[in-house]
Amino acid sequence: MRIQVRRTGGFAGIERQAEVDTSGRADAPEWHALAERVMAAGRGTPPAGVPDGFSYRITVDGRSVYCADPGLTEEQRTLIRGVLKEGA
Amino acid sequence: MTTTGGFEPVFCTIVPPHVLDRLAQADDPALAGPARRTLQRDAYERTQRRLTTVVGAPAAAPLAEAEAGKPRRTVYDARHGTGLPGEKVRGEGDEPGKDATVNRAYAGLGATFELFLTAYARDSIDGNGLPLDATVHYDRDYNNAFWNGEQMVFGDGDGEIFLDFTLPIDVIGHELAHGVTQYTANLTYFGQPGALNESMSDVFGALIKQYSLGQTASEADWLIGAGLLAPRVTGTALRSMKEPGTAYDDDVLGKDPQPATMDGYVRTGRDNGGVHINSGIPNHAFYLAATTLGGHAWERAGQVWYDVLTGGELKQDALFTDFATLTVRAARARYGEGEELLAVTKAWERVGVRTL
Repeated sequence: MRIQVRRTGGFAGIERQAEVDTSGRADAPEWHALAERVMAAGRGTPPAGVPDGFSYRITVDGRSVYCADPGLTEEQRTLIRGVLKEGA
Repeated sequence: MTTTGGFEPVFCTIVPPHVLDRLAQADDPALAGPARRTLQRDAYERTQRRLTTVVGAPAAAPLAEAEAGKPRRTVYDARHGTGLPGEKVRGEGDEPGKDATVNRAYAGLGATFELFLTAYARDSIDGNGLPLDATVHYDRDYNNAFWNGEQMVFGDGDGEIFLDFTLPIDVIGHELAHGVTQYTANLTYFGQPGALNESMSDVFGALIKQYSLGQTASEADWLIGAGLLAPRVTGTALRSMKEPGTAYDDDVLGKDPQPATMDGYVRTGRDNGGVHINSGIPNHAFYLAATTLGGHAWERAGQVWYDVLTGGELKQDALFTDFATLTVRAARARYGEGEELLAVTKAWERVGVRTL
């Protein structure tokens, strides 16, 4: 399973993107469980954001859901923190 | 790129602790840690601001002794925590202290207040003497600054990508201008009205910097966020109103994506429909109008933009052409058939936005 997160917006408006490929990973089941919950609860179109807040696209095996601050669920937030890496 | 870390047992009711522990093993604390904390704090703060947006900004309740036309600034220190507003460290009229961050925030709030008052006779953000509160040293390695609907909050940056967010005075002006927009045209933060909302903040942020430095349009750098990027980043600022798309080109940050004209207009769903991208177009139109007119940009070009933002005719869902048309009308209303009207009309022509 490929889990990708793309973050846009923020004051800087600078895009950030990272991914995790779970194949062969010992913790793949946990990633899969988290990703499935996020996808099930996600929406298919980008929600309206607030000024300078972050917007996210989460893609799992080619299917995408969207979310934005401040409307993240805790699962979305957990997944985003896990995948995204600033400055990498 | 494969990243695996970044979990903290904050949401342990959702994710089992053993999952968090395992995932945390591959963490890179130098970069993921700051990013993680920023994301966490943002979520909370944006919620607060969203609530303010939804229910409307609270009505200003001036103190009985408040004097019209005088700022009422208070700077607080979060001491790297997240409680707001934090500990009061400088009130209105207090002497500068030893903390340069506190002093910059105080001065930036003052410059913003002064520009709106002296140039446009606007008494604070709401036009009714709203106290200006700012919190500095918010959280650790926090890579953002924002106005939560009631006050400014400044992060210190992580030192890897961003430095102290109080360094550029236009950042302070940018966020406070979101407050002015919220109290006036309240432009929807998506697509073209969202790009106009962003552009208003960049325009008045830049004007506050120019005003505080006493610069003319030709002397100004027309950069947003100059001095905010850490030394290792290849770039001069976050945005350029003079040459949108040229502010940075860096291995980590990528390239400044802003277009200067409608030929480069970006259709995208990300970033709320490209609000920080397509804002380059109205930003550049303002730059062109201001530099064509010369002198202090806040005086004529700034006056026209301010008249449109606050005039009551700019709709929440305004498109570029709606805004452009209103600036032409405002220029004519205020200055007649003169060089102001010509400069504004030509500016929109050059960026490819039609005026009706």
